[in-house]
Amino acid sequence: MELNFACKYPFTEEGKQAIKENNIQINDEITERGVKRIVDALNRVQRTANPVHISDQLIEIGSYGAARMMLAHLRNRYLSNKFAIAEAKKASSLMARETKENIKRLQNELGVVPGEFEGKVVVPLEVYVKFSPRSVDYRLINRNVKEGHVEVSRREVLRLMEEAVKMKVEDIGLFPNAPEIVKKYSVKLMKLVPKTAPSKMSFKEGENPPCIEKLLETAKKHENLGHQGRWTLAVYLINKGVPYEKILQIFSNFPDYDERVASYQIKHAINRGYTVPSCGMLLSYGLCIAECKIGNPLRWKTWKRKK
Amino acid sequence: MQDWESAEVENVEKEKVMILKNFSDYYKNAEIEVPAVEQREFGVGGFKKKIESRHMGFKTNGALKNYLVQDAPLYISHSIAYYKFPESTPMERKEWMGGDLIFDLDVHAGMFLTAEEIEHVKRDAIMLVEDFLEKDFGVSKKDVTLVFSGGRGFHIHVKTPRFRYLGGDERREIADYIAGAGLDYKKFFGKVDKYRMGGPKKSDWGYRGRFCRMVEKTLEENPSSIHRGLKKPEAKEKLLGCMDDGNWSKTPIKDIIERLEGAAKEMKLESVDVDTGVTIDTKRLIRVPNTLHGSTGLIAKKLDKLEGFEPYRDALAFGKEPIKIRAKQDLPEQEFANSTMEKIEKEEEKEVPKSYGIYLILKDAATLS
Ligand code: SF4
Repeated sequence: MELNFACKYPFTEEGKQAIKENNIQINDEITERGVKRIVDALNRVQRTANPVHISDQLIEIGSYGAARMMLAHLRNRYLSNKFAIAEAKKASSLMARETKENIKRLQNELGVVPGEFEGKVVVPLEVYVKFSPRSVDYRLINRNVKEGHVEVSRREVLRLMEEAVKMKVEDIGLFPNAPEIVKKYSVKLMKLVPKTAPSKMSFKEGENPPCIEKLLETAKKHENLGHQGRWTLAVYLINKGVPYEKILQIFSNFPDYDERVASYQIKHAINRGYTVPSCGMLLSYGLCIAECKIGNPLRWKTWKRKK
Repeated sequence: MQDWESAEVENVEKEKVMILKNFSDYYKNAEIEVPAVEQREFGVGGFKKKIESRHMGFKTNGALKNYLVQDAPLYISHSIAYYKFPESTPMERKEWMGGDLIFDLDVHAGMFLTAEEIEHVKRDAIMLVEDFLEKDFGVSKKDVTLVFSGGRGFHIHVKTPRFRYLGGDERREIADYIAGAGLDYKKFFGKVDKYRMGGPKKSDWGYRGRFCRMVEKTLEENPSSIHRGLKKPEAKEKLLGCMDDGNWSKTPIKDIIERLEGAAKEMKLESVDVDTGVTIDTKRLIRVPNTLHGSTGLIAKKLDKLEGFEPYRDALAFGKEPIKIRAKQDLPEQEFANSTMEKIEKEEEKEVPKSYGIYLILKDAATLS
């Protein structure tokens, strides 16, 4: 029973505990599975089926640990990000059919504990802003807020929990002096990583306004971007005359990049001849981060480089 | 030419000496108390720049005070952040341990703040504290420090463990909420099913509730600004009914959402124009409360309450003893230190109370004569 929980949610205390109590040691089988776990994350293969045999469960839990060791050793933000997203998605689909009791346990562990206030389901404001996805619907300004509580639906609580899992999994410390086996399989892993080599941005400093710089920065860091952010970036780049291939390359930096979807979106935007959203619009998306007083990001001039 | 130039330099020196002496005197009796002083980074500024050097640290408030008396910097600020090693550089080495949540309210003012400007920014500050921090965010008064900035507005420091570790993006959500940035009332409405239009109701919190109150007010004061038919009591009742349960299909007015644009604009007036850039910066330096502002000589005074506060009366650091100045520009009549300062013409020499004289000199509107 406990092992079952640890197996489904290896990022929890129970997960760590299970490794200790059962004295799970890193070995070829476990590390091999760890590699697969990361490769699956890259290829978006969702594995939600859970092993029932104890020995398999132990390997499954161990493989999570092994995967994290490799990621800590490699210090590759792109991989870590992809891995975190996949683990969070997997956890989220398991949580959707989880017992009340287990959900409670997870909520405590993740720090997303909903409560009740004036007959509504709420989470504390500080928790909400920390774990809400960056999309217009989740912006604080569009929410019901009172005395430090933010109203949320049950479904939204799950979404916040998913984000919390992602952040937890993503938070990988340093791992100096990795054991040989971790090094060996890390090399193996890198050979399996598709070569959509994260591209250089090759923009001059100050060439783009702060909001766009920030979006590009997100791509550079292989962090995810909400729909509005992605769209803004695409339309901006198109209007600046950046060629399609180059844009696609930039987009390939996003951890949840899917070439088919991205190329469709970019082509679509090119064909429709979208104009770049105004600064006011970007403000409402929560993407404006300065007061350049230029009305539209496209009006950014290189002379503004150094204020 | 030579003489003229060196005369100018001498004059500047003369003012500097006078001001530094007075700043230092002020600090001898000032009450400076920075919470967790040993975990803050400090930055100081002088005649050239507001922050000339930073990464300074003080172990105790006593040490800070000694420094102020001795060096009398024109500006001094502390980090909103708490650091393990506040003096280390680069920034990463400091080891950030959270920070206060800060709001900066400013008006764009000329030489002097006008009475209206003061009232406006005071009203904003009160709204920020009472409507947003207390009512919406559940912050208790004891965690809020109100400070006159010494210049053109107020700084509001919120110290609560709840918000201490929020990052920049999270702080932005809070600042945008308060500023009403990106508020779109049409988002309050949405189809519940094929026949029913859902929308805000009176019992809603935050902006939705505010919006309903605005609609109610408009219905009370000027119903025909929404729709002519609303002068009839039944029609009005129906619209009010929508806001009881959030079922907006009860009003027969088809384009009701568009027609509420005016009420929505009013709601916008109930937001507060905070400087987002300040709030989201988790490594910001902010003027140390109860120190002097080097562009005015006024005290960045910690306040118990805003009501009745008059900067040119209640934030004065220097006395009434006269000093003789020469105006560099025409100066209007101005209330200062409980009396009316007369008009001064450019190049005119005049005796004025010290606090006023220092204000003018720091504003580069006068020199010592
Ligand atoms: S003002 Fe406009 S260009 Fe500048 S950051 Fe905001 S949205 Fe971008």
